[in-house]
Parts: sequence; C-alpha cells; structure tokens
Amino acid sequence: MITVYKKKLSSRTMELVVMNDIYFNQYTVSLLDDRAKEIIRQIDHSDMLSPFSISSRFDGMALNIDKISTGCKTALNVLYNPDKVFDVRECGDNVLDVIYALPEGNIYCDYPLISFEMDEVMVYENKGKRKIDSYEALKDWWIHED
Amino acid sequence: MKIKPVVLDRIQTMHTSYKVDFILEANVTLIVGDSGTGKSTVFSFLQELAAENRTIKCYNYLDKKTGYKSAIKRANGKLFIIDNADILLDDAMRWYIATDGKNQYILIGRNPTGLMLNQEDIMELSSEKHNGITKFTLKYSMSSYNIIDYVEAGNEAQS
Repeated sequence: MITVYKKKLSSRTMELVVMNDIYFNQYTVSLLDDRAKEIIRQIDHSDMLSPFSISSRFDGMALNIDKISTGCKTALNVLYNPDKVFDVRECGDNVLDVIYALPEGNIYCDYPLISFEMDEVMVYENKGKRKIDSYEALKDWWIHED
Repeated sequence: MKIKPVVLDRIQTMHTSYKVDFILEANVTLIVGDSGTGKSTVFSFLQELAAENRTIKCYNYLDKKTGYKSAIKRANGKLFIIDNADILLDDAMRWYIATDGKNQYILIGRNPTGLMLNQEDIMELSSEKHNGITKFTLKYSMSSYNIIDYVEAGNEAQS
C-alpha cells in the first residue's frame, strides 16, 4: 500500500523528488526489470523493447526510453524507489490508477489527486501514519489536513 | 473568464509523419488528459516550430531554473506554450496569465486552479492516423473527476 504526503518533509526525513523526468532518466532507468514492461504497456500503450528502448504507440518506431510519458516515469519512480517521495502533480488519471495499486511507495501532492479505483492507503500526518480506505475519506483528509 | 485569442487562433505544424492542427478559441488553453497521449510529443513539435516563428515561445521542465517568469512578464504579442505547467506555474504566475491581455498561452498540465478558465477552455489531445500521417487536434475535455477535485479544493482554500 502506498503512503500519501500532503506536506513537504524536511530533506532529512525523506527526499522529495519533484522533477520526475530527470530522476527517471538519471537513476530509475538503471533499476528497470520485467515489472516495468507491464506498467509502460498499461500507461503509454508502448512495448519495452530493451532496458533502454520502447516502441512508439503511434507508429511503432523504436525510441529511447526517455520518451515515455512523465506520468509513466513517475509511476516507475514510485515503484522502484520506496525510500523516496515523488510529486504526482503531473500524473493523469490512468497513472493514478497504477500508482494507487502499487504494493508500496510514497507520493506527494498539496491538493487531492486520487484514483477512483483506490482501495486503501496510508496517509502521513503530524501524529504519524494512519490508514484510509475510501475515496471520500481521503479527499476529505487531503482538503482539511493542516 | 473568456478572452478571445490575442495572438493566434490556429497553430499548425508538421514533423515527419506527424501533423499538429490546433484551433484556439480562448486566450488561455489548458491541455489535459491521460498520461501517454502525446502531449509532450506535440510540445516537442511546437518547440521546433518556435525555432522559426519568433511569435511562439516554449518552456518546459528544463527551464525551471531559467528566467522564464520575467521573460513572460516582459513579453508583448507572444504565444507561450508551457509544458509541465503544474510544476512551472505558481499561484502568482497563474494569476498573471489569467489577467494578461497582451500575450496568449497554451498550457500543458492538469491543474486549472487560479487560471479562471471555463470548462470549454480545457481541452484534450485527439490523434488519428490517416495514410501514415498521425494528426493531433484538440477536443473539449470530458472533465475528469480530478479536475473537479482541483477546483473544489482551490475554492475551499480561497474561501
């Protein structure tokens, strides 16, 4: 289950990554395995041809893997780096569905970004973490948590 | 707040087997939609167009540390195309863009908060392939649930 952060943490607690494109291109790309294939197919409708190449969804041409969408990169960042928090402001609804279904990972946004298909998440607040298991309850927490 | 485009009401370009044809109906157009639909791909084609059209200026996450905000505020008669807008635009820049009558904007992002947009100013990409050419156009967004959430959250925060 993922953990949701509404407030920025001090860098000593956990690193927040805002620039998901850059972090993916520089670090996450070297961690990819077969789990990435399904996520790239699901979000970008592209096939991962090798660790560093995909096929274009539009014309089938082989492209460097840096051409996957920012949202797809964010989902992969969250999956492969459970020790960091990733800003999800650039994620489309299709990416949120994937991220909320991940077994672990950490996301940050200062306004509600929720998948309709969410099951349960942990939320991080001043008193620690707690579990929330409904869309409406999570939305309410996100809007009112100070 | 609906303002007619002050610079261009249509933007067209070609890039190998890709064609872009955007009809622009408002001075600020927000392009939203699922990840992986080609928004940043289209942005790269428009960057290429901007290289030979001085009216168009493009910014994305690579410009985060550059002076894009002051460049926008100094500009007159430009069409700014901004990818990664949710990262690049803070509240003050959103207010500036919403009230700027001298320049025009195409924003690629998801968060309409502070831009004073009508629902019909929020668009999505549409792509169709014909004779080997993939053509990108704009269509009205079907108002994803998360956009409604942004607006509700923004309204509550401001009240």
